[in-house]
Amino acid sequence: MSNETIPGVLKKNLWTDNPIFVQILGICSTLAVTNNLTNTLIMTAAVVFVTGLSNITVSVIKGLIPRKVRMIVQTLIIAFYVIIVDIILRAYVPEISRALGPYVGLIITNCIIMGRAEAFAQSNPPMIALWDGITSGVGYMAVLVLIAFIRELLGAGSLMGYPIFGDGFTAWTIMVMPPSAFFLLGGIIWAAKTIMIKKEAA
Amino acid sequence: MNRESFLYVVVFTFLVAFVFVFVIALADGATAERVARNRELVTAQAFLNAVGRPEDDGATALQTFERLFGAVEGDSVIRARVDDQDVLVKQFRGDGLWGTITGVLAVDSGVTRIVGLDIISHSETPGLGGRIEEDWFKDQFRNERISAEGITVRKGEGTTDDDPDNGTVDGVTGASLTSAAMQVIINHEIDGLRKEAGQ
Repeated sequence: MSNETIPGVLKKNLWTDNPIFVQILGICSTLAVTNNLTNTLIMTAAVVFVTGLSNITVSVIKGLIPRKVRMIVQTLIIAFYVIIVDIILRAYVPEISRALGPYVGLIITNCIIMGRAEAFAQSNPPMIALWDGITSGVGYMAVLVLIAFIRELLGAGSLMGYPIFGDGFTAWTIMVMPPSAFFLLGGIIWAAKTIMIKKEAA
Repeated sequence: MNRESFLYVVVFTFLVAFVFVFVIALADGATAERVARNRELVTAQAFLNAVGRPEDDGATALQTFERLFGAVEGDSVIRARVDDQDVLVKQFRGDGLWGTITGVLAVDSGVTRIVGLDIISHSETPGLGGRIEEDWFKDQFRNERISAEGITVRKGEGTTDDDPDNGTVDGVTGASLTSAAMQVIINHEIDGLRKEAGQ
């Protein structure tokens, strides 16, 4: 019933169908949480967790979900995992929960998760759906971490809070503001597309 | 059974919602104590930071907090004696740009100088207004003179205001509204503390 293969899904989600630079999904969080590498890593790890588990859950119960209410059930499942992540962060890593503030709750609205549940998990068996969710999350993570790396390095002169450039460095204020993520994202899309087109031509 | 029938949809939706919400309620109940303890610890550390006696270790922080301030009830003003100085300490809450900012403000007994300030929680923009919780911003308040109008948070020049006698601190660059909100919150608290101190 499914012709999706493990390496095929991996390649699609990381490169040829990457949620960020090909599907242009999840852009709001790409702009909002990428000015600090630590927060970006934790936030995207939470997204990997939620996409993977919501995908496998949707896939397992897909035979039972009535068509009329399937979107609302998917949203419920996604919200469930996000709240679980929020509770775990609040109880066991309160500093990070404080730093991320409202962004954890906003994972629910990340279009990548809903997109994978609807486009993939609804029509594929559980294990490959789990794999699809995880790799989609990783494809998202890779791009965000790259943007956060550049933004924190230039915007604060540090990486994960550790100063890199020392005191003489003048921080680029633009880098901690949302517009810089727009420019960087545009640059990444441009670079990725150029490489893809060259590969196709070759 | 017909998956699209009215009865099936209602029963299915109800069951799914029930099961997931039940698990969340369990997880929330199981961690409630831990979360409450974390919040207590953050508050205790904010009090200690405000009076200039920071403690990193959780257990010691709670002990020192108890010894210095006793039992703290909500937003009441607490009189304490820290390092041979009488101080007034108050937990505050006020409106920031996006949400409530809570923190702790400590002043000397005559409300002439700020002893220190710490932020407990806020929902300001990360990287901009959110920088009010960074040390360079909070350290400007340490030992700052309180002028007749209270404290002025001025438009910063990318540096900090190191003069403790001018009643002025630098705001956060790119976060004028959060800086202005901090000025309003702190001056409101200073007014309250002046009344409390009987001036």
